[in-house]
Amino acid sequence: MSVDRLSAIDPVTLSVFVSALAGVAEEMGAVLVRSSYSSNIKERRDCSCALFDANGRMIAQAEHIPVHLGAMQEAVAAVRERAPEPGDVFMLNDPFSGGTHLPDITLVGAVDVDGEIVGYTVTRAHHSDVGGMTPGSMPAGSRSIYQEGIIIPPLRLLRAGVYDEPLLELVLANVRTPQIRRADLYAQVAAGSVGGERLRALIGRYGLDFVRAAFDEVIAYAERRTRDVLRRLPDGTYTAAGEIEGDGVVDADIPIRVAATIAGDSLRIDFTGTAEPVPGNVNCPRSVTRSACLFALRVLLPPDVPTNAGTSAPLEIVFPQPSLVDARPPSAVVAGNVETSQRIADVVLAALSQVVDLPAAGQGTMNNVIIGGADWTYYETIGGGQGASSTGPGPSGVHVGMSNTLNTPIEALELEFPLRIESYQLRYGSGGDGIHCGGDGIERRIRVLEPATLSLLSDRRRHAPAGKDGGLAGACGQNLLDGAPLPPKKTCEIGPQQVVSVLTPGGGGWGKPRRA
Amino acid sequence: MVPAVSAASIRVGVDVGGTFTDLVVLVGGELSFAKVPSTPHDQSVGVMSALGAAGVNAGAVDAFAHGTTVATNALLERRGARAALLTTAGFRDVIEIARQTRPSLYDLRERPPEPLVPRELRFTVRERVEPTGEVESLDEDGLAAAVEAIRRADVDAVAVCFLFSFVDGAHERRAGEVLRSQLPDVEVSLSSEVLPEFREYERFSTTTADAYLSPRLNGYLARLRARLAEAGLPRPLVMQSSGGVIDLDAVAGRASSCILSGPAAGVIGAAFAAGASGHSNLLTFDMGGTSTDVALVVDGEVQTTTGAVIDGIPIKHPMVDVHTVSAGGGSIGWADAGGALRVGPHSAGAVPGPASYGLGGIEPAVTDATLFLGFLADGARLGGEIVLRRDAAEAALASVGERLGLSPLEAALGVVRVAEAEMVQALRVISVERGFDPRLFTLVAFGGAGGLHACRLAEELELSTVLVPRASGVLSALGLAISDLRRDYVRPFICDLSKLDRVAVDAAFAELERLAAADLDRPVFRRLADVRYRGQAFELTVVADDVDLLGAGFAAAHRRRYGFEMPDEPIQVVNIRLTATVPVPKPRLAAPVIDAVTSPRTRPAYVDDEWRELAVFRGDELAPGRRIQGPAIVEFPEATCLVHSGWGATVDVTGALVLERS
Repeated sequence: MSVDRLSAIDPVTLSVFVSALAGVAEEMGAVLVRSSYSSNIKERRDCSCALFDANGRMIAQAEHIPVHLGAMQEAVAAVRERAPEPGDVFMLNDPFSGGTHLPDITLVGAVDVDGEIVGYTVTRAHHSDVGGMTPGSMPAGSRSIYQEGIIIPPLRLLRAGVYDEPLLELVLANVRTPQIRRADLYAQVAAGSVGGERLRALIGRYGLDFVRAAFDEVIAYAERRTRDVLRRLPDGTYTAAGEIEGDGVVDADIPIRVAATIAGDSLRIDFTGTAEPVPGNVNCPRSVTRSACLFALRVLLPPDVPTNAGTSAPLEIVFPQPSLVDARPPSAVVAGNVETSQRIADVVLAALSQVVDLPAAGQGTMNNVIIGGADWTYYETIGGGQGASSTGPGPSGVHVGMSNTLNTPIEALELEFPLRIESYQLRYGSGGDGIHCGGDGIERRIRVLEPATLSLLSDRRRHAPAGKDGGLAGACGQNLLDGAPLPPKKTCEIGPQQVVSVLTPGGGGWGKPRRA
Repeated sequence: MVPAVSAASIRVGVDVGGTFTDLVVLVGGELSFAKVPSTPHDQSVGVMSALGAAGVNAGAVDAFAHGTTVATNALLERRGARAALLTTAGFRDVIEIARQTRPSLYDLRERPPEPLVPRELRFTVRERVEPTGEVESLDEDGLAAAVEAIRRADVDAVAVCFLFSFVDGAHERRAGEVLRSQLPDVEVSLSSEVLPEFREYERFSTTTADAYLSPRLNGYLARLRARLAEAGLPRPLVMQSSGGVIDLDAVAGRASSCILSGPAAGVIGAAFAAGASGHSNLLTFDMGGTSTDVALVVDGEVQTTTGAVIDGIPIKHPMVDVHTVSAGGGSIGWADAGGALRVGPHSAGAVPGPASYGLGGIEPAVTDATLFLGFLADGARLGGEIVLRRDAAEAALASVGERLGLSPLEAALGVVRVAEAEMVQALRVISVERGFDPRLFTLVAFGGAGGLHACRLAEELELSTVLVPRASGVLSALGLAISDLRRDYVRPFICDLSKLDRVAVDAAFAELERLAAADLDRPVFRRLADVRYRGQAFELTVVADDVDLLGAGFAAAHRRRYGFEMPDEPIQVVNIRLTATVPVPKPRLAAPVIDAVTSPRTRPAYVDDEWRELAVFRGDELAPGRRIQGPAIVEFPEATCLVHSGWGATVDVTGALVLERS
């Protein structure tokens, strides 16, 4: 069967361009990781890079963690509203104007050929401090965005290639580690300029008209691949529900409801029935909700489908008003990115799993632990169990869903912080039973050697990750202080020799377990 | 003790690959080769038959160097020993949790690689050391119980990995002592000896790999040593992943240090051959059947890394920095659901092989495309038995072309172009992503088909020179024959540069030098240090011969690699390293002797958008100084080179083909 093509770009050029554009985004990512200073970017790889065309359509992305997937189009749209000129690099982190949560600072650079803007480079990195009420800018108890750090609307960090030093000075005056922030921003600018050079080289070689046609075809190609997968799924509306366990202010469940409709080769995700905005910080900006939905869609696709505007074209999201998943100023949002995004992805996947053979639920939380003293802050996220599937058991002790950052080695953190790790091992048997068992969660016990502030942002402490097709649920997580339970989200002062234990959830099992 | 060698000596290099065992004999600067089938059941059988084929007079051989894939294959195929792990209570699963990441962001079923030691063979004992020293003594009763449990588990090897053993290895040494006395037949690897560096997962992983691989490698080396001794040959030197050889006995206890033995030898050989031709900044490009390996050589020095991950297992020893992509001669072209022509990662392998092998393959591989385009000869013999059939290649190309609306010719051109795009990407990764501008490098192409793609890759990357060494089919064996003896040593030395006590640093280096002097005969030392800005997650390795210059050296390295420095941030030394080498005097490669010259044949090939009759030269008939203007084809016994239009090829004094843009 011959594939229908309505384009001047042949199948070979298409393949070469898909590979070349992915290469540009990956090279930007490599420069960013290589030239950044902070371990959050360098080691944990909490950063992503992308290339957009002049119309604000994404043409390639290299994401290291899924929560950045497809969440950059709002940033480019916000910048395009401000009439970017050649050589401008915009900086932003405002979750209500192109950002996600404040620690994610995004740079958008306008790339021109002879004065005409031909595309945009985008780099996004999680900066380990952007000011606000607590070191690390991940407060568990924030009630408004103003407590979470400095808000940067889309502003020119570079105008026609020249740094706006007063702006940089203002931003750096509002963060706790200005030297490191400066180095990381320079790294983002360097990554963007590499992307710009590569884009100009492509245009120099093939000509602008040809490259524009190739962009169209590359986007159309991703859309064809995506629609091809959706078309094979049975039409219908599939619903699922889940909850966030408290918002850091009130420890009550907050419902998330999803109706996923597959109609032909398109997917609509409707959040009607989901909670309204809450006083705490689990509110989710629209861009984060979008990336969680796109993650669920991406899971359905073969891994070689490129990530660009075409991948998300068949996806429509319906946001009820007002809503937890479409946060508005001045809502606190810092945990929306790290916890609510997890649950949104879980619930969308649960809905789709009625017609797609997907694994059981994974741990569904990032288990954020922040411990800080007078002049130090330790931030870690802890892996857990992945759900089992029809083809095998779930992996143990890994990040699931929207995160995939590395841990901090015990031997590195004990050199740096007044902490002693008493155990870091798997919770054997915490994965749900089944024909295939869910992955096991992790037990991490931390003895604090100096007075400190503890913040926990976690979930799945009372609602277990569900099993699938008769498989049993994984074990719930637990937070303990000297053996006494703490709620899923908590900030408190702790003293020397107190032991914080975080037990992370197991993944759900698959298939009814055989009984002896 | 390994004796030093003289330049006039006879040196033999033997590289055991998956299909062939290659042998190079160097007498002074004279090179001779032999190639025999490998013997996977016992690689030493193939080694002996290669020696026989080359007619080597065993008694006259001064040095015999060997590259082996025994450890590599045992790791890739997970056929290592039954090994146990003994570790600190509370940390039994460090090697399974790894760094908490999943291998694929979106494939939720894909599992991380299984740890080399399963849960039931991981044992713990109470003990604890902190950055400042012991906080809990080693529980002797617990140790006795663990040793008894390990005895009952009936294992061949044990890795002992305690937290912070790089600070104080006394607990590990005590556990090792008890294990060795109670279980004398079991190999014991201590993390404080295998890799005394901080970051527990990577140290545990490397040590566990050492325990897992050592019994198998030791058995092989013992058999090889016996066979060589019987034949009157010297005790073999073994290639390590670092690119240096070492005495067999030194490797016996360190299987983890020779996992990349084979690829390392290839890059060393390429660097040597290119050096003989006067090129010292190189991108090496080794195109095999299923994959392509690329590496970087700067100022004649093969670049190494301590960050290698082999098949999901981090191995932190210094290793030649080789980047691999799955685009080789056997990589298959196919039409995907979105209407794009794709190549790889699937490979036709050796069986059935590309369609043109006529062994049952029906999908078009890269080799089929180059055969169809006339770059390879219809009816050519590969390895004696396989005869290339162009009609079979055409049928396979037609079938994939039909799905995409392409003629067989368009499909062939497309398969080559898409595969070359992957290779360009690999070369960019190894250069640009390491901070080097590829345009300043010479591309060294080897492997059977490397020379077919070299001009195009050079054009894409804007390189001006391509080198195809005469020995391009046996560069690994050549690399073995000329490798220096080398051992690497590392010790933790965590200290802010501002507080560094240079007397203490000197004493620490002197201690390593004493160790090295006992292991090697009059070695040359190079002092290095791993340095970072305090709190950074990665170190840079910089020269530390003069401690006073360490800060400036680090700042310069940071600027070069990362583009900036941070004068106000505290600099911290993390490890000190010593590289000890016994240099082998490098022979001059003699000019090849040309016996007879036939006039070039021609065959039709598709170049510059048309079919043309191209001149086909025999590489082994080209005398030094000979110039060939592209487009043309040069066929060597084991490799083919396509000289594009706009390129000229010159045969240099070593017999290498030097391609330059005219």
